[in-house]
Amino acid sequence: MGGQFHKQTYVKTRVAIMAARLMPEAVRDDLPQGSLEDTGRRFGLQDLLSESLPAASLNRAVERAMIQSLTFDYSVLLRPFTGAERQVLQYWIRKFELFNIKALIRGKINALEDAQIADQLHELPPSITLPHEELLRTDNVLELLRRLEQGAYREIARQARQVYEERNEPFSLDATIDRLYYAGLLKRISATEPQDREGLREVIGTLIDHQNLLWLLRYRFAYGLPAAETFYLMIPRGQSLNHAALLRLVEVSNFADLIEQLPPSLHRWLEGAENTTEVQRRLERRGRDRVARTLKQSPSGVAQALAYLVLREMDLRLLFVIIQGKVLELPEELLRYAGGQPGSAEENWA
Amino acid sequence: MFKPLAMKHVRLQLLTDELPHASLVLAELGVFSPDPRPKYTEEFPEIPGVRYAELYQQARSRFDKILRHIPLDSPLKLHDIHEIREEDLIQANQWLRQVWRRCSAHEEETRRLREQERAVRQLQNALANFAHLDIDLSLLQGDKHFLKFLPGTAPRHNIPQLRDALALAGFFLFEFLVEEDHVHVIVAGPQEEGRGEIRSLLDTAGFSALELPPELNDEPERVRDELAGRLAKIRAAWDAEAQSMAAFGASVQAQLEASRRTLAMAEPFVQLETAIRSSGSLSLIRGWAPAREVERLRETLKRRLDQPFVLLARDPEPNERSEVPTALLRNRLLAPFATLIKQYGVPRYGEIDPTVLFGISFIFMFGMMFGDIGHGLLIALAGWHWRGKLYGFAPFVIGNGLSATLFGFLYGSLFGYEGVIHHLWIAPLSDPLYMLSVALAWGVGFLVLISLVNIHNKLVIGLYTDALLGANGVVSLTLYLSLLTGLYRVLEGQGFGIGPALLLIGSIVALLIYKGWELKASMGERIVIAVVETFETLTGYLSNTLSFLRVAAFSLNHVALAIAVFTLAESMGTVGHWTTVVLGNLFILVLEGAIVTIQVLRLEYYEGFSRFFSGDGKEFRPLRLAGSEAD
Repeated sequence: MGGQFHKQTYVKTRVAIMAARLMPEAVRDDLPQGSLEDTGRRFGLQDLLSESLPAASLNRAVERAMIQSLTFDYSVLLRPFTGAERQVLQYWIRKFELFNIKALIRGKINALEDAQIADQLHELPPSITLPHEELLRTDNVLELLRRLEQGAYREIARQARQVYEERNEPFSLDATIDRLYYAGLLKRISATEPQDREGLREVIGTLIDHQNLLWLLRYRFAYGLPAAETFYLMIPRGQSLNHAALLRLVEVSNFADLIEQLPPSLHRWLEGAENTTEVQRRLERRGRDRVARTLKQSPSGVAQALAYLVLREMDLRLLFVIIQGKVLELPEELLRYAGGQPGSAEENWA
Repeated sequence: MFKPLAMKHVRLQLLTDELPHASLVLAELGVFSPDPRPKYTEEFPEIPGVRYAELYQQARSRFDKILRHIPLDSPLKLHDIHEIREEDLIQANQWLRQVWRRCSAHEEETRRLREQERAVRQLQNALANFAHLDIDLSLLQGDKHFLKFLPGTAPRHNIPQLRDALALAGFFLFEFLVEEDHVHVIVAGPQEEGRGEIRSLLDTAGFSALELPPELNDEPERVRDELAGRLAKIRAAWDAEAQSMAAFGASVQAQLEASRRTLAMAEPFVQLETAIRSSGSLSLIRGWAPAREVERLRETLKRRLDQPFVLLARDPEPNERSEVPTALLRNRLLAPFATLIKQYGVPRYGEIDPTVLFGISFIFMFGMMFGDIGHGLLIALAGWHWRGKLYGFAPFVIGNGLSATLFGFLYGSLFGYEGVIHHLWIAPLSDPLYMLSVALAWGVGFLVLISLVNIHNKLVIGLYTDALLGANGVVSLTLYLSLLTGLYRVLEGQGFGIGPALLLIGSIVALLIYKGWELKASMGERIVIAVVETFETLTGYLSNTLSFLRVAAFSLNHVALAIAVFTLAESMGTVGHWTTVVLGNLFILVLEGAIVTIQVLRLEYYEGFSRFFSGDGKEFRPLRLAGSEAD
């Protein structure tokens, strides 16, 4: 009992100290301003950015630095946890592994050169055991799928084979991968103690809601998928968009009506949004808001740790987008738009 | 014997064209370990052979995959050793690609046949299950006027979501058989609605349709025969594919063997990695070689290389000691002990090689803890009998067995029977206190020896203050010995003694001052930590010494276990008596034998190694040419 109390205290103190690294809103809003060098100096990337690397190599190096930074925080936060709590965090970080699996399968299906595929892969920490090299060296997509069919990725491989053999749209593959990932994560969350479960579900449920809503809009209104198939591709057990809400929403036939019929907690943020890109940007803000609430208010150490990691990832992703844009010398207006921030020309809702 | 081989840092400057050839020569000699540190990056800015390495990795990967289907009969033996040029590697890689294509097609075909077989078996199971259902199967066949029926299977975990999705399209899903991770289902719904929509949804959900034969209802026997026939055809196709693959394998064996040789000869150049740097036509290879091998290396290169080269060798510099690889003793008898040492770590270059010390002390302690002529001889015989299957550990097993036999003679113990053979030294249970004091004396001797090794290791790498005042240094050892002397004198009734007391106090003060000085913290913190750490040094030595009591405890335990077995045996008839004696001895042999091995290992690792060796050294791994005579 005492040990548990000490662990919670330690974790919360740790998270509180680390949370000081998260970017306040004002800093995020200022990011598109200033030169690449300024941004580099501000975030300790000056050495990296001063190397005269070609744009593609520089982006890779920055991305690597971001992932390293995130995995460092992850490994610090993981240390005190054991059992189910530890498994939740360990499973969460596997999302990067899934990015790589998607890139590998897509690359092989599209018959890209190994070097081109390797360029799209994230460099992952050693704790992630995906045999990238071995998979990359497969001679064709069928060989890759056979390799994946032998392990934990059997279901992903099955879906990929269908995409490949029947020339299906690859989104069913993405949806399958995401569905399996979140199902695995939720399963691990349900094994945690009740006091942890609520906070963890709040964080992951929010992410699932956002992913579901974006895919729902795309499947229904961009790809023209029927309601039944769209529903099938949704990730079950979101936070605001529960089973009943999804069943109802997939049958709505136009964008504006769908936004109107959203549950109040989502509708409040998305009212008046006119396209999927705008929805995505508003959801980004909603995500930050809700996860930050868990970080501040949840009584659970592991929920706070997960909330911190999710927010940190959002920050690093935003920073990466801004740096990429600055490397390409894009105008500030476009950087704001790409970073999903207010102040861009399309912004009319804030 | 106790010191690793002296090493030299070697720099070989040669023409870039000769790199593959030179790496082959270095690998043949087996005395050169590459140094991958990024040095001379300005003088030699390029890393040559990147394309070569890529080709090699690709070809090696294909070769390894091919071996899963076409195993080679004999181990690799290289005769005509020659340089492998990039063009040779390209050619080998292209050939391997073609062979792998055939193997990959075989894998795919096998997979397809397996899927077909699974589908037929599923159909058989489904039909067997339909027989128990009270329905007219003709209703499920073909298109109906208003209703559409789709019998099939789907992954189990997709079912709940699929059911709800189908409901949205006005369809209904009925589960009727669960089979491992698949469920047999019937999907039913209105004929006119959602044809394409349902098909796409079912595909996405991994649904595979079961084709119900039209004659199922009227002639089920014929259907069963037809399915059995389909299975037989699949198996025949399987056999034909296997035969075809075997014939293909036989036809490419010779060429595959040639590819294996090509890859083996190309490997050394690839293994050099960043130890090679170049600047145009001039290249540099850097690495480590045992000092005694440098001249042989130079002479061989002179003889074998076509173009001139420069070979410079120097002693390791003090600041690169942690980078120098350590060549542990290579000896068949000591090999198992070296393996156990490597489980803990590799000694740093310059540190004492603990293999001999470890081997002798391990065998001694095992014998003392497990002294029994019968058990010892059985262990030794088992080690000899299964020497081929023990992966080089036969000397370890035989050595421990013989040591146990020797101590068996000393204790006069044969399969637990005391007195059958007169003891040459002592029967352990006759004077347990004496046994315990012998174990303590052994422990003291062992710890003193280990501390001396630690002092030597620190001096070798230039850590003089550490050797004097650090953990297990001269002062700590003085503290330990003065305390032991004082305590011994007290037990003998002579009082602690002024000499031991002065030494004890002096060493405690020296340690307190050193630990306080070493810390970078506030005065209060320094005092607390210095006091705690000095106290820990003292208690550490004492508790480690007491750990050795287990050496005597297990020798007593061995006798006590035997007495327990005999007591049990005596309460039985003749058959029961001897059965109990045999089984009891087997029990002692296996269980106690394993426990004693673990305990000795624990004493060696925690009471021994942790005191004098960090285990973070780098093992000397010279370039080797697989399949050559030197390999």
